[in-house]
Amino acid sequence: MANKIVQKDQIKNLLNKVAQSSQLIAPIKSDSITTFRPVSSAEAVVLDYQNGVIPPKDFFFPQSEKMFTYNINDPTWDIREVEGVPERVLFGARPCDVKSILLLDKVFDAEFRDNYYLDKRNKTTIVALSCNDCRHTCFCGAFGISPDTAEGADLLFTDLGDKYLVEVLTEKGEKLVNSAKEFFADDDGSGAGAKAKATEMAKAKQMQISLEGVKEKLDNMWEHPIWDNESLRCIGCGTCTYVCPTCHCFDIVDYNDQSAEGYRYRCWDSCQFSNFTRAAGGHQPRPSKKERIRQRFLHKLRYFVDRYGDFGCVGCGRCLEKCPVNLDIAQIITKVKEVG
Amino acid sequence: MSCNCNTREVASPLLPYIATVNKIIEETPTIKTFQVTFDEPGILENFGNKPGQCAMLSILGVGEGMISITSSPTRKGMLEFTIAKVGRLTSVIHELEVGDKMAIRGPYGNHFPFEEMKGKNCLFVAGGVGLAPLRSLIDYVLDNRDDYGRVDIVYGARCYDMLCFKYDLFDRWPKIKDTHVHVTLDREDPKWDGRVGFITLDWLQEICPSVENTVPVTCGPPIMIKLQLENFKKMGFKPEEIITTLEMNMRCGVGKCGRCNIGEKYICVDGPVFNAAQIQKLPPEY
Repeated sequence: MANKIVQKDQIKNLLNKVAQSSQLIAPIKSDSITTFRPVSSAEAVVLDYQNGVIPPKDFFFPQSEKMFTYNINDPTWDIREVEGVPERVLFGARPCDVKSILLLDKVFDAEFRDNYYLDKRNKTTIVALSCNDCRHTCFCGAFGISPDTAEGADLLFTDLGDKYLVEVLTEKGEKLVNSAKEFFADDDGSGAGAKAKATEMAKAKQMQISLEGVKEKLDNMWEHPIWDNESLRCIGCGTCTYVCPTCHCFDIVDYNDQSAEGYRYRCWDSCQFSNFTRAAGGHQPRPSKKERIRQRFLHKLRYFVDRYGDFGCVGCGRCLEKCPVNLDIAQIITKVKEVG
Repeated sequence: MSCNCNTREVASPLLPYIATVNKIIEETPTIKTFQVTFDEPGILENFGNKPGQCAMLSILGVGEGMISITSSPTRKGMLEFTIAKVGRLTSVIHELEVGDKMAIRGPYGNHFPFEEMKGKNCLFVAGGVGLAPLRSLIDYVLDNRDDYGRVDIVYGARCYDMLCFKYDLFDRWPKIKDTHVHVTLDREDPKWDGRVGFITLDWLQEICPSVENTVPVTCGPPIMIKLQLENFKKMGFKPEEIITTLEMNMRCGVGKCGRCNIGEKYICVDGPVFNAAQIQKLPPEY
């Protein structure tokens, strides 16, 4: 489908129409924090944000997710799976976050396909939004991601000032356009040029980091003092893993509040916590912060590459922005190149 | 590895089946073997476990844990799990009585190379509850006795009461042709007049003087595995020939939750069985 144009003064009307037939998930501002939330009306949606504090990963792999319920007084334990999600439209995901969903696909849509994830993934139309500006912590370019392309999205919107250029990337995207045809006009051919100009600043402003040779160096840096040095100031809070769009570790827990009925849920967990690898009986393969931060960086920059053929980081910059002690994966990459 | 997920009609690999405990064997004061069958007909027949694979056992309301399947698939009509009481879940499991329920999903992981081992001599070396995963392979080999050569089972425990599978070690296995059981205790014990001491290189060489056409398989506490891998290499085995199993804390069993990640591997799907050449390439985090 050819590129389309949506007038900016019509965007909220378009989103309201979308919200009538699907659940709409979009960025809203609450207490000065921008986050993705299901919204019933487009009124609260913010369009001029840089990126959400928490990535939209939550809508595919929730921070806490009920898997099934049970009743321990029932002779069969009466296990029931929870219902799936409705059809949804995720609006406004930035290119880095869209790429992170493709990386999560590699984990959850692999052998032993994870139906909790896939149900949400299949029922979600992803509308990406190009970045006209970026944060000082952004470095998606290092991972071959660009502020103005969004592989994995169904539609890509780009803010051209008074209107949006809409690139239709998949059939799912085409279906969304067809369901609200009145808002989409044909692009007269000027869209692409205007888009390049609109996203110029984001490309120029982001940190320019090259990953050349980093993986190969890390292959031989198991016993390097960098892990000792960097772990000294880590406080093990796990924030880096909770704001990360690609971290996928989880715990599985039963909850039954002293009653017969209960449920089993999974919730995000973090390789930065000592309990993560501590086995019953006390065996602990990663006893100190040194081993745990080494795991985090090697998992993103080495193991994920070996297993899935891509880096496990998208350069969104959230972990380095939110780390209370300024542990910085971008700096680590730079240091590895210098010292390795 | 083998994948059995297609044999399941249910949507989620994280959803367990209900099973009933049929028999409980008290192996040691802290280790019990639970023999179970699935409540739903057809599940056990399609479970398709192979020697060395594991399953996620749970008590609803308490939690889940990955436990190796200690029975061989040649033993029909049941699954056996030998469980040491080490934490919250296993303490609750140890309270179970015959007729009680547990929830099970699996089987998970790869398996021992029982096909490749055909025609070869087997040297099994285990310590403590580490005999539990090996037992699935030992029984598989002994139930297909003519397919394999000489079998040596070398087993060490801290004291007499800590020996698992005494009925197999002293009664069943030694009666099978060309099957030799060698038991040692870490220290003197009034109930024991056999060998005392660790499983040493000298002793292994005495039991198995030639590495020709022999497959060594070891399982035990991490420290013992490391020692035996070295012993096997000194005996002249090539790293690719030396088989062991690794264990990490696990939650999902299906290669997603991240807990058992070592390097590019997930122990739950790529393991638990590895050869020493593969282990040499892994970061030393097991």
